[in-house]
Amino acid sequence: MSAPAPTTDAGRRTGRGFETVLIAVYGIFALSATARSLVQVMRDFDFAPVAYSLSLLAAATYIAVTISLVGRGRRASLTRLLCLLELAGVVIVGTLSLVRPELFPDGTVWGAYGLDYGLVPLLLPLIALLYLSRTTSKGPQD
Amino acid sequence: MTVLGIVVAAVCALVALLGLYYTVRDLSADLVLLGATALLALVWLVLGIALGLRDLGGGHPAPERVTLYGYLLTALLMAVGGGWVGIFERSRWGSLVITVCAVVSAVLLMRTHQIWPGGFA
Repeated sequence: MSAPAPTTDAGRRTGRGFETVLIAVYGIFALSATARSLVQVMRDFDFAPVAYSLSLLAAATYIAVTISLVGRGRRASLTRLLCLLELAGVVIVGTLSLVRPELFPDGTVWGAYGLDYGLVPLLLPLIALLYLSRTTSKGPQD
Repeated sequence: MTVLGIVVAAVCALVALLGLYYTVRDLSADLVLLGATALLALVWLVLGIALGLRDLGGGHPAPERVTLYGYLLTALLMAVGGGWVGIFERSRWGSLVITVCAVVSAVLLMRTHQIWPGGFA
């Protein structure tokens, strides 16, 4: 069926290493956050406008980071900026959802720091930022 | 349907653990892991068809039909996409992506059970 990939000097042809995992996880979050927010917005936007708008914002952020990650290294600074925005979003929205619960009659992706998603939304930007800082300071790692 | 749900959960666990083993041992996905991933896609497809048929038959109209089919489609896409990444990312990280997909699809399975506690029994 598929021929084995011809090995180059590096031994790996298309390998992006750990970045692949980041892209996959961000891709899954982009997909699920988009789906969730669209269903929420289309069903009954007026029920929880703040929560649903923030779901949309989270979805847009995940899509942007995914695209930025796919566009290899060249845009590392853009990716870092987007991850910082994402982290800020999770922290602000998470705090807001605990301090002002009346704004959130229904859940949002970043509510309670992403507890609905096993706190992965909080950890993901931290891991991505760590990965980005390691790759830019030491060159691509494997 | 309960049996089918258990089968899907078992295959999710199998693929997740297998992928984790490959990641720890620094192995790229081979035909065993890819085969298990294909099996995961297959059992999700069977579950999706079974639920769809029952929905069409009017047995248990799903209260949140859009979400149900969204979850089913996402799970199927993730199994196929995870395998695809496993083929092209020839390192341990390709195996880890397969693990992530299996874990997320297990979560999706749990969510479907939470949303339709009666519909699955």
